[in-house]
Formats: sequence, C-alpha cells, structure tokens
Amino acid sequence: MMKILRLKERAWTIGITILFLILGYWRASQLPRFGSYEIKTILLGVLPIALLAMGQSIIIIGGGINLALGPEAALINCITAKYANGSSFGKTLFIVLLGLLVSILVGAITGWIISTSGIADIVVTLATSFIIIGLSMFILPNPGGGANGDFAHLISGKGNSFLPPLLTFLIPYLFIWLPLYRSRSGIAMFAMGSSQDAAFLSGVDVKRTRIKLYAVGGLFAGLSGVTLTCITLSASAIATISTTATLNSVAAAVLGGIALTGGVGGLLGPALASLVIYFIPVIMLGYGIDPAYSQMIQGALTVLVVMAGGFLRERTKRSA
Amino acid sequence: MSLLKIENLAKSYGSVVALKRANFEVRAGEIHALLGANGAGKSTLVKILTGVITKDTGTISLNGQEVTFTSPDDARKNGVAPVFQDPALIPDLSLARNLKLTSTDEKKFLSALDNMGVKVDLGTLVSNIELPILRMIDLARALAHDPELLILDEITAALPIDFAEKVIAIMREHQQKGKSVIFISHRLAEIEKICDRATVLRDGFDVDTFDTDEGSEERIVASMLGTNTSRVGTRASGGVHSGGPVLLEVENLASGRHLKDVSFKIRQGEVLGVAALEGQGQDLLFEILAGEKKADSGEIKLQGKNLRLSHPADAIAHGISYVPGDRKSALLPQRSIRENLALTRFRGLRQWLRINRANESGSVDNAVASLQIDTRAASQVKRLSGGNQQKVTIGRWVTTGFDLLLCFDPTRGIDVGTKQQIYELMRTFASEGKAVLLFTSELREIQLACDRAIVLYEGKVQTTLPYEKCDEESLLNAVHGIAV
Repeated sequence: MMKILRLKERAWTIGITILFLILGYWRASQLPRFGSYEIKTILLGVLPIALLAMGQSIIIIGGGINLALGPEAALINCITAKYANGSSFGKTLFIVLLGLLVSILVGAITGWIISTSGIADIVVTLATSFIIIGLSMFILPNPGGGANGDFAHLISGKGNSFLPPLLTFLIPYLFIWLPLYRSRSGIAMFAMGSSQDAAFLSGVDVKRTRIKLYAVGGLFAGLSGVTLTCITLSASAIATISTTATLNSVAAAVLGGIALTGGVGGLLGPALASLVIYFIPVIMLGYGIDPAYSQMIQGALTVLVVMAGGFLRERTKRSA
Repeated sequence: MSLLKIENLAKSYGSVVALKRANFEVRAGEIHALLGANGAGKSTLVKILTGVITKDTGTISLNGQEVTFTSPDDARKNGVAPVFQDPALIPDLSLARNLKLTSTDEKKFLSALDNMGVKVDLGTLVSNIELPILRMIDLARALAHDPELLILDEITAALPIDFAEKVIAIMREHQQKGKSVIFISHRLAEIEKICDRATVLRDGFDVDTFDTDEGSEERIVASMLGTNTSRVGTRASGGVHSGGPVLLEVENLASGRHLKDVSFKIRQGEVLGVAALEGQGQDLLFEILAGEKKADSGEIKLQGKNLRLSHPADAIAHGISYVPGDRKSALLPQRSIRENLALTRFRGLRQWLRINRANESGSVDNAVASLQIDTRAASQVKRLSGGNQQKVTIGRWVTTGFDLLLCFDPTRGIDVGTKQQIYELMRTFASEGKAVLLFTSELREIQLACDRAIVLYEGKVQTTLPYEKCDEESLLNAVHGIAV
C-alpha cells in the first residue's frame, strides 16, 4: 500500500520523463545524424532555461514566485560578459564567482523586501524586475562582451563532447539541491510553502527562511547567467532570457510537477520539463510549421498539464 | 512549588481586549485545567504562553525566572511544549522530515509512540495520516522533547475513546515524573476525573481557581456563567410558537470530519435556535443548507421533497436565504444601502434595459422602514455601523422574500439596542409564517428569540430543547455534552 502511494507521488516525474523521451526520440529522428554533437547542441540550448526553471522551482516550493528571475540571469550575464571580456582564466573565474555572489545577494534582498514589507511576492518581484533590467542596461548599454575561451569551454565544452554541459546541469543539482533538500533549512522551505502557520508553529523562522529561499533561487539565476555568457560569449540586457525566460521558468516548474500553492515537488521534473518546452518549437520548426503555432501549443500544453494536475491532486486528496 | 506563574497578563487586538488581567499558576507535578466559554481568553493565554503571539503587559515566570517567548521554537527550548487541536505538522512533508524540522529525536519519538500503541512508517506523508493518529503523533513529538510543561489544547475533542484514554494515561505518566500539564477541554466530565486543579477564565479575567473533586462540574459552570444576573435584553414580543407544518427536514447530514450526523426538522412559523461551542460543525451545516458546500451524505427535504443544492442560487430559488456570520462577505461595502438591498432582486428582473426604479424604490423603502435602518450614511454601506450593516444583510432578503432564513450569529459584535431589533425581526418573520434557523454564540439569545433549540456537540445533535429548557445554564451544560 505504502509503495503504491510513493509511486503516486513520483507519477508526475515519471510522466514528464516519458514525455521527454518521446519528444527527444522524435527530435532525434528529424536529424540526419544524431550523435554527441547534436546532444551537446540540445543541452547548450536548454541549459540556461533549465537552471532558471530550477531556481524558480525552489522559490515556488517555498511558497513564493520570482518574476525578476530572468532579468536577474540577464544581469549576471551582463556583469560577467562585460568584466571578463578578454581576460585571463583566473580573472574570468574571479568575475564569475563575483557574479554568483551578486546573484545570491540580489535574491536575498528580494526575499528581505517581501518579508519586511508583507507585500505579495508577485508584486515585489515585478517591481524589482524593472530595477534589475535597468541596472543591466546601465552596466552594458550595448550588446557585447565576452569571456576567457578556456573558461567558457569548461561549460560549453570543446569539440563534440556533451559532458561539460551535462555536468553544468548535474553539479548544481547534486551539490546544491540535494544537500539543501536534506538540510533543516531545506525542510523549512518545504514547510513554509506547505503551510506557513504550521511551519511557524514548528519553529521555522519564516523571515530568515524566505531570505534563504530567494538567495538560493538567485544563485540558480546567477548560474543561468554565467552559462549564457560562456555559451554565447556575449551578453545583452534585453535578451530573451530577461523577458520570456521568466515565464518559461514558471511554465517549466508547473509542467515539472511543482504545485503553485507550494510545498510539493523536486528539481528533476522542472529540468526535464524545460527540455520538453525546448523541444516543442524545435520539432515544429523541423516540419516547417510557423513558430507562432508552437507558442500556442506550448501554452495549451501548460494549461492542460496544470488542469490534469489539479484534478489528480483533488482526487488523491479525496481518497486520502 | 510553582512551575509556571502568570501575573496580570493582558493582550488586546486593536480595540478588542482578549485578556484583561489574567493570573494563572501551575504547580510542579500537577494536571491543571484551563477553562472558559468562547471568547473568555483561553486561546490567547495559550498562544502567549507558547510564543505564538506576544503579550502587551504582565509577567510570565517559569521556575521563578521571568521569561518572554518570542517564538514556538523558543518556548519549546525552554520546556514548554504545546499540542494544538489542529496538529502543527506540515502536510506535504513526510513524518521523518517533520521530525527533523523540529529537531526531534527519532528514537524518543518512536518510543513515545510505541507507548501509545500507535505504529506508523516514518516515510508516510503527513497529509495521508488520519486526524486522530496525527494528534497522537503530535503528542508523541511533544513528549520526545521531554517538556517541563505540556499544554494540551482540546486534544480529546473528536478523538475516539480508546485514544482519549491513552492520552489521559500519558498525562498521568508525565505527572508522575514530576512534570506538569495544562489541560484544555470542553468535556467537563473529564476535568474532575483527570485534573488536580482548575482555573476558569471569563471576559479576560481569571474568575476562579479551585481543587477539582466531585461536584466540580457545577462550580465550573457557575463560574463560567458568572454571578452577574442583570442581563440586558428581553424576550421579543409575541408568544412561543409551536409552529405549523414541517418546512425543512434534515436527515443524517454529514460532511468532512466536523459534521457527522445531523437530523432535525424546522416548521413554518418557528425560530429554531442552534447552540454549540466552536467547531461542532455548525458552520458547515449552514453552508450546506445555503448551497455553498456539498454534504458527503444525508438528505435535505423541503416540504417533503428531496432537495439537491449545488449552488447558492438553488437555495435562493427554493426560498432559502442565508445571512452569513461575516457581514463583509455578504455586502458590497462601497455601494449604497439601496443597491445592497436591491442586489438579490436581480432574479426578479424580467426585462432588459433599465431597472424599474419605481418598483425597486418601493420594496427598498419598505425594507428600510421595517428594519429601521439608519440611512444617514446611505451612500456607502461600509460607513454604516456594524448593527446597521447586519440589518442590511437581513433586509435584502426582506425585499426578495423567503421561506427559510438561515442566520449565522447575526448579533456578533453589535450593540444591545440593535440586537433587540434583530430579535424582534426574527419574531415578526415567524409570525408571518416563515421559518428561521438561528445560530448564536451567545446562549442567552436563544430564549430571547427562539421557540426551540437544537444543541450540536461533536458533529451530532446532542439534544433538542423546548423553549422552557432553553435557559442559559441548561444550554451551557448541553453544549458541553452534559445531559440536561
């Protein structure tokens, strides 16, 4: 009995994995050749948005939402691309670490504002998104910049190897998310998202937990910005990452099994979901279908999945 | 030797004073009952004691040292562990993760749970565990911290008898270790059996503390009632009606875990009172009758015919009108009295284009006059006093017409004069052959406005009382589950 229940909890991740495999196979069959290089291309295309979706997922699990996450990734993209342009390996590394520090700080400040003001997350982060976009434009008025080539290859990979981008995805998952998930801070985040009152009664410092939550989310946005710099060797304050990427990160979180009400989910689902979101327009483009349709299909799919998830939860709740 | 000493504790929420000057003392190694009617200040005292809220003034001493708890965690670390009526476990987390969150020792927890004879897999998600088991789990978690002072808030309410007995045994064990328990319960029979002493709160003061022994029940009820007999309010005009033919019949209605099995009849021309402590399922009963929520099982018959309500509009169409306890949820605060009163008439509109103002004015003016609504602030309902707002929520049904009016605590927080007008209004409806179902948290209102009363206790109709037996003392006994 217990095993069936556990299986039910994982049903979502299994479902999204199957969807990913189907779409992946479909895409592979469209290509004349499908090898290491093609896998690498796909991974590089999806990496920034996957990291962003993971960051957004953490925040949603904790009962929040951050509409400034895309702009935050763009900010780190601008900072690293501007200051690491033409620099040595060592200096690029230093700039990247600095950029990640900034991303943690921006997240923490966002969390602090939400906690102290008591204003809804969605309102605060909508406002901060404009501030951050403005800041990015100030730092890098015109698209450009770059990074040390050797450093960039650490993430984007040299030649045909798809290992570096895969590791760029796995390392944050294994060394940030899993330890966090097991720690008391991580449990506190889940608790806060599940029921703020019960969390408070269980001894969770709600304010401090929210600051941590947004800081970790910010770190993932920072990683997203850094990978973008390494992949494109340039930056733009008004790149797609800063506009549509935020909404895609929310869509990937929801598709990946994160309940918008908070408290439920993991990061594997959203990461796979961002691949699904990546595949849909690419596959359709492969058939020569107007990209506008793929946008509509992606939207419809998100709505369908959210509805299906709603029904599923309702039913499991009733039977419980 | 006193373990806990509370002196002159006070707390107010805005203009509402919850605790005025409460004193309370718990000795080491005793089980102490904390009692009081709804709104006496019990839950405020417990919340302050467990660090959920902070006090305004007064002192709390633990083992002779003055303390102020800033959070539930802080209280727990200082040896004060509460178990609330609604278990404070995180529904979306497994038990093991819940234990880790509260830094609870797994071994101690499991041995405490074993002691209760409850077995559970630590990997289970809390939302998949039933409420009675969850309460035992919450208790085991509190015990794992080995607290000096255990606070049990209504833990035995809605708990099966075998579990309730286990809880009592556990309290005794805790006492034998020289530690103390604060026990809050509405089951007065338990108090004299379990507790060493009892403190009764009333209106934010501690009014009585005594050793419990046989016959304590009467003393408890007496001090909860108070000696102040000069009550305001008189029986509304008109005699007691035995009522006409049965209008509505409710059979074995059940919903969720609070409403278990409720059956009663209401006749045309009578005001039927509903008396209950908080959380006995009365809110669900009203919401189901109003078509707001669906029942899990049971039947509702209107004039002998089965009634299926899937939307408030269904109830209204069948002549059942609902005045909810929260006025704000019923009114359009920014709009005028006229618009608020006329709002429910929209279903009478049979033509497009303009609303027939003359027709509307007629029925609205009629309602304003019959309800004596103060129209000085007619342009915006939110500027009216609470009492006048309440009259508007009732008045809109006067303009539309109804057969059965469901009133949920309509006189909460309004002045005595307006209360009297509302009782009169209920009586007028009854004399016109309509039926009123009236829940009130002020028990004395039952005899002022009703013809009969049903008492809900733990989701069931405990008893039906004729008018003569609806005095406050009988009702107070009945709502506590004591036979009258």
